[in-house]
Parts: sequence; structure tokens; C-alpha cells
Amino acid sequence: MAEQAQGISPLSAVVADVAQGVALALRGGGGSYALSDVLPPDEAVAPAAVRVLGADALAPYALDRAAATGGATDRTTADRALVRAALTAFAPGADASEVSLWSYRGLLAAARALLPADPDGWPPEPPAATAWTATDPWPKLAHRASQLASLALPGLDTPLAAGLAERTDDLARGFVRAVRRRDWLQAAGLGRWLASAADVPDTLGLDSGLVFVRQMSGTQPRVALHVAAAARFYGRGS
Amino acid sequence: MNSELTAPVESAVLAAEVEGLVDSAEPEGIYRDTRECGGGLLLAGLLLISPPTPRPTKTDAS
Repeated sequence: MAEQAQGISPLSAVVADVAQGVALALRGGGGSYALSDVLPPDEAVAPAAVRVLGADALAPYALDRAAATGGATDRTTADRALVRAALTAFAPGADASEVSLWSYRGLLAAARALLPADPDGWPPEPPAATAWTATDPWPKLAHRASQLASLALPGLDTPLAAGLAERTDDLARGFVRAVRRRDWLQAAGLGRWLASAADVPDTLGLDSGLVFVRQMSGTQPRVALHVAAAARFYGRGS
Repeated sequence: MNSELTAPVESAVLAAEVEGLVDSAEPEGIYRDTRECGGGLLLAGLLLISPPTPRPTKTDAS
């Protein structure tokens, strides 16, 4: 674990490792998934990596909700402790950005939906605005939406997803722009949102676009994660 | 160094790194709108194929 490439911080290396594990689990490989198994034990960066990945850290549990929430096994208890540590240690501050707030809310919503109930209760949900989903110009909206692609997860019915569903055309513009800029992470994140939308224009070529992004991105684990989520949860790009 | 003294600093650094990864800036790049590029290309083409400026004809007296 945590194969640290040259020039990458320990946190980025752990985030990449966990993203790889999640993508593998979403593609149906590697046996049963447990967050605590793909994180390095007893490392300070483990909760930080969970906070960075947000709801995606728990995405494989959305494949089998009954098994995840059915009872507190050793694995789910360990996962619950990890998520709680991430939510407690890295709660957004007073000057946190909307992206940070929504990412936090996404992790919290996923924990509530996909993990057994926490006997101590989960932390409260910080308030976050949705007005920007209606008012942001499309390039800025695309950038923000791609950073919050972990919220494009079945069962997380957030006001953010409802707001972005009204801007499908702008997300499609952002997807094309990101591909042209070779910003594969942004393209994959937007592709995932578009995969969850019902009114994507056929002329966009989303399925072949996602395959293209996956191939061109090389070995970027977070790109692979978004493409795997689009395929597994929404049947696009596979 | 005393680990109790360095721990808050390390956690603050880690928290800042987390925020940076959660809300990272868009990579620098120049994005040109296709219609603007097309307009520029058309203008350049028209300038290239435009006829030369008329010059006064030479006379034998001069």
C-alpha cells in the first residue's frame, strides 16, 4: 500500500491507492471491499484520504446496501470509525469553500446511507448553498461539479444533484471543453454526472467519450474510479 | 523535537493539504472558442486574398 511515487505527497499516494481499490471493487474485481482493508493501518493520513475521496470511499457499498448496513461486522465497525475520524478531524472551517462543504456533506450522506448506524450519532450537516448551481457560468460550474463527482452516487439524493440536473447542457459543454484541454480528471467527473442524468444529448457521444477519457488518462486512479462508477451505477461508457 | 509540539503544526499542514486536494484550482490553460478562432481565421484569409492597393500608373514622361 501507499506506493509513493516520486514527487507525490504521502497523502496523494494514499488517495491514489484507495481510489484504485475502489475502482477495482466497482469493476467487480479483488473480492469483497472494505475501506479499512485498502487504507494503511495506523497512519495519520488514512482519515485525510477518506476526507479527500468523500463519498467515493464508500461507493462499493452502494452495490450491496443490505450487506453493508445489515449488521455491524468487524469490517464495517472499523470503516465507521475511519469515516468518523475523517469527519471529525477534517470538518470544514468557517471559511470553507462550497466544494469543501458539499464534499463533506457527501461523505456524511454516504456514511448515513451505506454504513451501519453510529451509536454515537454522526456529526451535524454543515449548511451549504445551492444557488451557484443555477448562477455559475458554465466553465466554473463544470470545474466545481467535477470536483464533486463523488456525489453522483445512487441513493444520495442531495439538493446539489437536483441543481446540477437542471444544467445538463452546461455540464456537456464542460465535458467537451475538459476533453479538449486534456483535463482527464475533470472530464471523468463531468462524465459521471452526465451518466447519472436522463436528458444527455446523444450527439455528445458520452459512452465513447468516457472510454476515450479512460484510455487517454493512462494510470490516473481517480479518473478510473469516476469512469468505473459511471459504468457500474449508470451503465454508461462500458 | 517534541512530538507534542509538532503535532498541531503537522495536523494543520495536513488539513491544508486536504482542502487543497478537495478544492483544487483548475489547471492553467488557454481555451479558445471555436467560433472566435474561425472568425480570426476568416479575417486573416480575407486579408491575404485581398487585391493589392491600387498604385498610380507610370507614365513615359516621368
